[in-house]
Amino acid sequence: MFDRNEDLKLVRRCKRGEEAAFAELLGRYRNAVYGLCFRMTRRAEDARDLAQEVFIKVFSLLDRFDETYAFSSWIFRIATNHCIDHLRRNRLRFLSLDGFTGPDGEPMEMPLPDDGPGPDRLLERSEAMERLEEVVADLPPHYKVIILLRHDQDLSYEDIAVVLDLPLGTVKARIHRARAMIQQMLQARSYEI
Amino acid sequence: MMVGKQQPAPPVCRQTREKMQDYLDQTLPKRESLAVFLHVRECGECHGHLAALQVLFEGLDHMPPVAAPDDFDARVLAAVPYETYLAMAPLRSPRVPVLLEHDSLPTWARSRSVRIVGLIAAAAALAAAATGVAAGAAAWTVAAVGCLPELSVRLQSLSRRVYVATVHRSIPR
Repeated sequence: MFDRNEDLKLVRRCKRGEEAAFAELLGRYRNAVYGLCFRMTRRAEDARDLAQEVFIKVFSLLDRFDETYAFSSWIFRIATNHCIDHLRRNRLRFLSLDGFTGPDGEPMEMPLPDDGPGPDRLLERSEAMERLEEVVADLPPHYKVIILLRHDQDLSYEDIAVVLDLPLGTVKARIHRARAMIQQMLQARSYEI
Repeated sequence: MMVGKQQPAPPVCRQTREKMQDYLDQTLPKRESLAVFLHVRECGECHGHLAALQVLFEGLDHMPPVAAPDDFDARVLAAVPYETYLAMAPLRSPRVPVLLEHDSLPTWARSRSVRIVGLIAAAAALAAAATGVAAGAAAWTVAAVGCLPELSVRLQSLSRRVYVATVHRSIPR
């Protein structure tokens, strides 16, 4: 999906001081990183801030990038760690959709995506896809990220192992478990896809 | 009254179902893949399991793409002025012993033209020695001196990479 050699050329040009090369790298990974952040958080505003922070981090750490790894693995690693940290820090916000109240007992706004994909795009999506996305969004973060890396970003098991710094066996087991969880959740909610 | 109890799946079905995800991921060895294919062809229940899993895989593979907002690039590029980035280069680069710093070699030795001329002189000296035009010892000395700048730069670069790879954590967490 991502051309490793092309990426490496761009990284080297960035290191030599070519701003245009960074803009090109940004263009190549913009949607992938933003998409991952959006699907992890389901909030457009958070996704935009997270993705922006990811690129700033990539930018400032570029000299430490080890060229024996694929750039895509490196950037996804930074992005996944950043998203998981964010979810961990904000997990209270995502505890429940029902009866969520603030410290004063007053009902609070539900943490649903506020300005995510617009109504036009939502209409375009099939109902089945919406249900599936809803279920994926409700997975625990460590399972959600692995499903997104495998299916949404089309990374191989080996690349995911590098991104998540996990043994290959653990990656496989976690993906299998995540898919089984999705099936169970679809069944429990009587959703058909 | 007899209560209907669901029979556990036969071992061959359980084994087949365990392998179904790898089968669809195409990571199963050929022989096992064939075994799954043949069993599923014969077993209605396993066929149903595989079909359901296939629908799930297709759904996950085709989730609608999410595009970043139009102003995303501009915001990122504005957030990190490139001049600041360049000015901070020494802070970002991993710290290495003084001898492995680029600057520890004299400028003339690092100069590309000196290195190329040195290599050409070394090659010429070796060729002269091989054809008997120049005395062996003198030619070898010229060749050694000619190679020195290039060798020093290469050796320093290699040592720096080995040092960074072993001492520094290259991938930030």
